[in-house]
Parts: sequence; structure tokens; C-alpha cells
Amino acid sequence: MKQRYRVCVLGGGPAGLAAAVSAANEGAQVLIIEREAKLGGILKQCIHDGFGLIRFGQRLTGPEYAEREIKEMLGSKVDYITSSFVTNVKRISDGGFELEIQSANGMMKVQSDTLVIACGCREKTSRQVFIHGDRPAGIYSAGTAQYFVNIMGYMPTKRCVILGSGDIGMIMARRLTLEGAEVEGVYEIKDTPAGLARNVAQCLDDFDIPLHLSTTVTRVIGDKRVEAIEVAKVDKNFCPIENTKRIIPCDSLILSVGLLPENEIAQKLDIEIDFATKGAYVDQCFMTNVPGVFSCGNALHVNDLADYVSESGELAGKYAANFRPSQRDIVKIEYDSKDFLYVVPQYYDVTQGGELSLYFRSKTDCKDRKVYLDFDDDTVLDKKYKRLLPSEMEAVKVKPKKKVTSATLRMGDFK
Amino acid sequence: MPKKVEKLHSTLMKKGIPGIECTQWHNSIKLEGELGNWQDIITAGKIATKFGYKGVVNEIKLRGFKEPEIKAPKIKDNAIDNRRPDVVIIGGGVIGCSIAREMSKYDLDILVLEKESDVAMHASSRNDGMIHPGIASHTNTLRGKMNVKGNAMYTKLCQELDIPFERYGNFILFDDKKIAYGAGALFAYRAKHYGIEMEYCNREKLVELEPNLTDKAVAGYSFPSAGVLSPYKLTVALAENAVENGVEFSLDTIVTSMHKLHGEIVSVQTNRGKIYPKAVINAAGTFSDCVADMAEDKFFTIHPRKGEIVILDKKKGPDVTRSMGLVSPEMLYSTSKGGGVMRTIDNNVLVGPDAYEQPLREDFSTHRENIQAVLNKHLKLIKTFEPSDAITYFAGIRACTYEEEFVIERSEYVKNLIHAAGIQSPGLASAPAIAEEICKITVNALSECMQVIPNSKFNPNRRRVPHLDKLSFDEKQKVIKENPDYGVIVCRCEEISRGEIIDAVNSALPATSVDAIKRRVRPGMGRCQGGFCAPLVTNIICEQTGLTPEQITKCGGDSNLLFEKTPKGGASK
Repeated sequence: MKQRYRVCVLGGGPAGLAAAVSAANEGAQVLIIEREAKLGGILKQCIHDGFGLIRFGQRLTGPEYAEREIKEMLGSKVDYITSSFVTNVKRISDGGFELEIQSANGMMKVQSDTLVIACGCREKTSRQVFIHGDRPAGIYSAGTAQYFVNIMGYMPTKRCVILGSGDIGMIMARRLTLEGAEVEGVYEIKDTPAGLARNVAQCLDDFDIPLHLSTTVTRVIGDKRVEAIEVAKVDKNFCPIENTKRIIPCDSLILSVGLLPENEIAQKLDIEIDFATKGAYVDQCFMTNVPGVFSCGNALHVNDLADYVSESGELAGKYAANFRPSQRDIVKIEYDSKDFLYVVPQYYDVTQGGELSLYFRSKTDCKDRKVYLDFDDDTVLDKKYKRLLPSEMEAVKVKPKKKVTSATLRMGDFK
Repeated sequence: MPKKVEKLHSTLMKKGIPGIECTQWHNSIKLEGELGNWQDIITAGKIATKFGYKGVVNEIKLRGFKEPEIKAPKIKDNAIDNRRPDVVIIGGGVIGCSIAREMSKYDLDILVLEKESDVAMHASSRNDGMIHPGIASHTNTLRGKMNVKGNAMYTKLCQELDIPFERYGNFILFDDKKIAYGAGALFAYRAKHYGIEMEYCNREKLVELEPNLTDKAVAGYSFPSAGVLSPYKLTVALAENAVENGVEFSLDTIVTSMHKLHGEIVSVQTNRGKIYPKAVINAAGTFSDCVADMAEDKFFTIHPRKGEIVILDKKKGPDVTRSMGLVSPEMLYSTSKGGGVMRTIDNNVLVGPDAYEQPLREDFSTHRENIQAVLNKHLKLIKTFEPSDAITYFAGIRACTYEEEFVIERSEYVKNLIHAAGIQSPGLASAPAIAEEICKITVNALSECMQVIPNSKFNPNRRRVPHLDKLSFDEKQKVIKENPDYGVIVCRCEEISRGEIIDAVNSALPATSVDAIKRRVRPGMGRCQGGFCAPLVTNIICEQTGLTPEQITKCGGDSNLLFEKTPKGGASK
């Protein structure tokens, strides 16, 4: 351990590990600070496969994927500490940062020239989607249920209803079925699944688990433990339709209703948060509005695949290692929020230049669309999409050939 | 029929509530009959209070409604059978626990019976934690007197119990200057009567003190004696200190009947055995009239008034410094102040509560419409509040009598029964004063049959454990060096360490359920609502108690979190 690092990475999941390795490869002295007892982040409990197809060209389980990343980190010159919690962070007079870290070894202070925020995300709770009724045991987020089954080896349910068709929800539907529980059904308030199409096929269809679209949970019933769940179809405004209410006896309600980037530490540094992503505003170098602070992975925006998480970490780590304070010349990447759910990065820093990797999600499920990127008056990119889904992130890359003063991502029809 | 009873009967008829039989019972009035709507039953009870009786016993039934049976613990054993305590306290809420701790100043054998698996399970953990100044109470009421006296006792009490308390003041706000002036006269009158400090604040002053107030509030009054604390931490601390001073708690213990002889309770039957106390204190909250009834001394009725409260993320805590609510003229004289927004002692923001009459005594479910209404009503008071700041919400039930007054007295007809009943808002603020009063009454009653001497070993100070969030960097360094468990953060949202959770499991009143831990040290209170830490807390409880994960409950009884272990090699289908 040193007193001062070039790069401090907050979080030792796939984003943080990749960031640390790439920063170390640039010659930086790097420290990873992980709050949990083990590295690997949420991958530790994702024992299903499907990880690493892009990054390693192989179908790996979560722990296998994490292991590869950890091994690579151990082979690089990276310091790491686990069970260590950053309780405070502040800017110091030389432009760097000072972190206060709490662990079983006591309190310590570490300084760093730059920070990479790779804290991942957390699950939305039943309360955040305004589930009402009683409050018994047996209401779990899908990730908590996954921890119980995959890490602790205990069944949190024998018969459950799953609300939300997010990826973890569908994966848990399969997982619980494999472990002998009955999944009565997966209920989704929207008229399209929230997670990846491949998960609908592999996790629900293959196991005959019904997916009820445009249906939501209206009430939890149960004194000490969940005894039943009331569901109802919803109208176009997501309002429950009274005469479609149905009571399902079960012992658990498992929720997969969305993920939220964790940015509590970022907010201590006055980092601006994008309302659309719930993550930081960044430029093409993954740098936030606070010079020297970078954000990546699911702390930046919720990704579909761990592979993308690692990719953003790798880039953020590299840029953090090479960071030099300079004047910024920022161009906002404009988009119409009717067409796009969000676009990341939100800015292009002309002074830094270089390639722009743009990630976006469409606002709605749409077919036969074309996406354009305009730099000033030039359309530098147009790409056809047979189908765009909010649940599937898309990525495009461009390298501006001349100085950019304005940038716009837009959508149009093709045919 | 006595004249007064006749008059009540005809008044009820005139108000459109026919068919009610009214009979005088001791000094109280009893109403019987059947009505088709709950509000009419409430109205009948309220009307009956205007006729100068000691209490209203409202037995009017709601047509087609059968009151659900009290939620009782499943355990049946003889854990306390044949015990002969000097004092039995029925109810482990803030009132029962305050009384227990107060009475532990005497050399007495005290037993607290609580039907739930922990203390503070009903109203005592389901309120906003505000220590009211007392300005909302009419003059010459027990509610007002106990409130003002109790409020003043909190500074010392919280020091002794080592729980955080902040006297941050409150605002009663108005959207109309004229109404504010009018209300000022009423407040000044009450303030003078009770000795409550107050100050008029014009718009400029309000904004100076609360810069995030929107222009909804044009004037208001400030009451600097108002404070805030964690009501469940307080209740637990009182119980722990009581245990440290010799009081015994029997949890999961419900009183099912009482046996009386010569106007005195001889024995109390519970699910865990029959006991023979010298004195019985009724601190049974929403069930206090049922307990009184068991002793054939039901001279009041509890009508459960429900309220729902929304909790906002800690990020919004710094946006307000105190408690405040916008008050309309009709609310000034009413029994409830209409709720508002406030910062909690843990820096969250609470919004609400609302107040509505309904017949269920322990239905803590929340409702979309009510929560929405609470948000719509109060969020507009503060510029920075958004509905998306809500992290959770909950409901509580106030134990209200028709007189809307506390019942703090020795029974007139049962020699060894003392009531601390009908304790609704401001029950929390009043608790220390109520405990003092009940203790005095009980000691007097006991002195008729035994010699009551002070407990020479009484220690008012609860065992000190570190609260890491209150420590500086160097202080934290010191406690972690002594015990490394204080360094390991288990709850990432509230930054609660493993050491603090272990302290709670091994305290004087051991916390062995996930919610019991949550009430004591807050893991799971934050924005992830236990998503990350509930499994970790479960593991710590197991490790400290020797229980296995499938035995750990959310909140006692059958609220087990987990079923059996996952089948080896997966299930065969």
C-alpha cells in the first residue's frame, strides 16, 4: 500500500477490475478499493452462463468471468484492498483526491491523482415501484433471492410470483425452477419484456414459465409471510383495471423492476448526474464534470452485458492513467428524448479528441429505423436497424475528422 | 332511562344515527347497536363524549364486519407459569417500556408481557419520532400536561440512555397571513397556559431559517422546544436499561384472560403460563380497552386511527432542518395536526402522516391512494422534494379514545389495576411523564400490601456501545483498533458495521430477527431497503446465536426468511 496513487478505482467488479488493469498497463500506480469481502462484484452470484461472448469469445459463468478478470489483475501491478469502505472523499489542494477508508484494520487516508468510480448498481425496491398492502417476509429483489440460493444455498421460496421481466428476474425464474420451486409466472407492467430476448427464450419459454405482459402486482397479502399476491392487468397509462384483479396464493414476491447506478460517493464530489441514466454525465474519455474523476460500468449506466461493463472500465482506466489537467471544450451530444431513452457519453470533449464510442437505447420498441449522427452539418454516421428495443443497448463508433462544434444523434425511418 | 341518557339518545336520533341503545355503566355511557358505516359509529361515540360521562364505551357493531382476532403468538409453553411478580406490565411499547424502566428505580419484581417478538412493534415504531412542544393540545388536558412535562425530560433521559436526540424546533405554517394572526392568539393562550416558548415568523424569517421553503408558507410560528429522536431506538433503550436494572421481559406473550376475586385481579392467564401479580399495568396500546375489559373495567373505547407516512432518501435530509406542517384553520382545533415534513434524527425526511378512522387495530398495510395523497399534500412545501425521493412508506395506528384524552389512573373498581391507556399522539413526547405518573400511582397502590423501597443498585445509564456514524476519524480509529468488527461495513447505505450488529444481537434485550436488528442499528433502513445486507445480517445472527439461516425471521413468529437448503445436485423435475 502506498500513500498516494495515480489511479484509485472504487469497486472491484468487472468494471473496476478492467479499469485497474488498463490503468496499470499505462504505467500508473493503481489501487482497487472493494467494499465486499471478495472481488468480482455481482458476478460472484451469477452462476448462469452467457458471460464473455464478446470479450473472451466464450460462454462463461459469472464466477468464471470474474476469475479471469481477477487473474489478469493479479498479474498486473495493481494494489487492492477488500472489506474496505470509502467513508469520505474530498478534493485536495494539489488537484488530487483524498479518500477516507474504513476496514477491520482501522481508518486510513489514501491520496490519488484520479478516481475511477466503478461502484456498480443496486436494485430498485418494492417500495420504489410503489407496491402496497402488507409487509411480510418473502418480498425479495431478484438479486437478494439469487444471493440466498447461489451463495448461501438456501431456498427463499417454494412458490413465487416474479414482478418485472428484467434479466435477473428471468434468470431467477429459471434458477428457482431448477432448484425445485414453482414460479407461478413473471408479470411485466409494460407491453414488452424488460430484459434480453435471449433470456425470454432460455429462461421462461424453455421452462414453460408464463410471462404476463401489461400486468402488475397491486397488493401484497400476508401477516408474517407472504400468503398471496394480487395482480391486475393495466391500461395504457399503467393503471390497474379493477375487474381484472386476481389473487395468486404464493409465499414470495420476487422483484426485478430495474437497476439504479450507485453514485452516492460521486455525489460527495458534486458530480452531476444525468436524470436519464441515473449515472454521471461523462465525455468520450468517461470523465465526469469533475476533472480527474471517471465513471464506468453500471455506475455510469446500466449495461446489458458484463462484457460492455468491462469495456467501459478498460477505457475509463486508460484515460484516468493518462489524465492531464487541461481546459475542456465540451460539446453536448444532443438527442430527442422521444426517440432515445439515453445516450452515453453525453459529451464530446474536443480538446481530448479521438474516437467517440456511443451507447444508446431507444425509447420504444420500434422496427426499421435508421440512426444518424451529425457533427455540425455533416452526417458522419447512418446505420440501419431492423429493430430497436429499450432493453437492448446499441453501440456505434465514429472518429471525427474535423473540429466538432455540435453533435446530434437522431432517428428516422428507412424503407 | 335517566334524563342525560335520554337526551343522548335523542341527540343521536337527530344526527341521523337511530337505533342505538344507551345505558349508563358506572360513571360511563355505553352505546350498543349496529350501524352500516364506520364513520357513523365514530360520530356516535364522539357525540356521547359531550354528555359529561367519565368515558364512552362504544359497543356499536359495524354491519357485516367481524373484527379479526388479535394476532397472537403461536408459542404455548410454561415459561412464566406460576410467577408471582410484584408488577406486571402488559405491553412493550414506548409506554410499557418507559414505565418498566421508571419502576426499576424501586426494588420490585417487574415482568413486562409483550405479545410480539420484540418491543416497539406497533405504534412505537410506527410514528414520526417527533417530540412535540405541546402546542396542539387544548388547555387543561392530560395530553397537554404530559406532553409539555415529557418534552422537558427528554434531554436528560436521552443522555442516560445514550440515544441521539435533537431539539431542533418546529414550525406551524400558514398560507394566509390573517389566519396566521388568528391562530397566534390561540397559540399564545396555550403557550402561556403550559409555558411553551413560541415566536411569530414572517415570510422572511421563515425563509431565513428554512431556505428551501416554497412560497406556499407565508407566515408561521416557531416552537423551539420541539425535538426529534428515533422512537424505536428509544423504546429499545428503555427496555434494555430496564433489563439492566432487573426488569424481566417475556416476549411472544399474550394475555388471554384475567381472574378476579373481591375486586382485585388474582391471576393473569397467558399463552406461556398463569401468573399471579400484585399489580397490573395496562399499557396495551390499541388493545388497552380489551385488556380493561378482561378485568371488567372497560370504561373507555379505543377507536384505531390509522396514518401513513412516506420516508425520503437521506440525500434530502439536509434540505430541511426541523419539523413543519402547513395548517388550515379547521385543523387548529382538531385532534390531529394534519402532518407535514420533517427531518428525522437519522437525516431522512418523513412526509405525513395522514389520519383516518377505520376499524382494524393492527392492519399496517399501506394504500396507493393514501401514500399518493400524502405526497401531493406535503411535498410542495419544500422546493427540492420529488416523489422519486421516496424510499419507503409505512402505516401506524393511533390508540384513540372517544374523549381524545389519555387514561392515566388507577382503576376505580379493580384495586390492583392501573391504566396507561388511550395513549395516542403526543404519546411519544409524553412517555417519560406518563411513566413517572403511573409509577407513582403503582407504588402507592403496592404500598397498601407491601413495603416498596428504592432500588439501591439502579443505574440510569444504559450500557454504552459505539455509534460509528457519530465518531470522528480518530475516534473510529480507536474503536476499530479495540474491536476490528467495527471496521467492517455490512450495510452500505447506512454504513453500519458488523460490530454494531453484533452489539445488538448480544444486548440486554437480544435482537435475533432481521427487523429487530434494523430497529436497533439501522441496516436495511437505507435506499436499498436491505437488498444487499439482509443476507449478511442473517449470517451474523446465525453466527452469534447458533441458529441456522432457515430459523431466522424477519420479525418473529412465522416470518422466516428462508426455507430449507437447496437440494443437492438440483431438484429432479
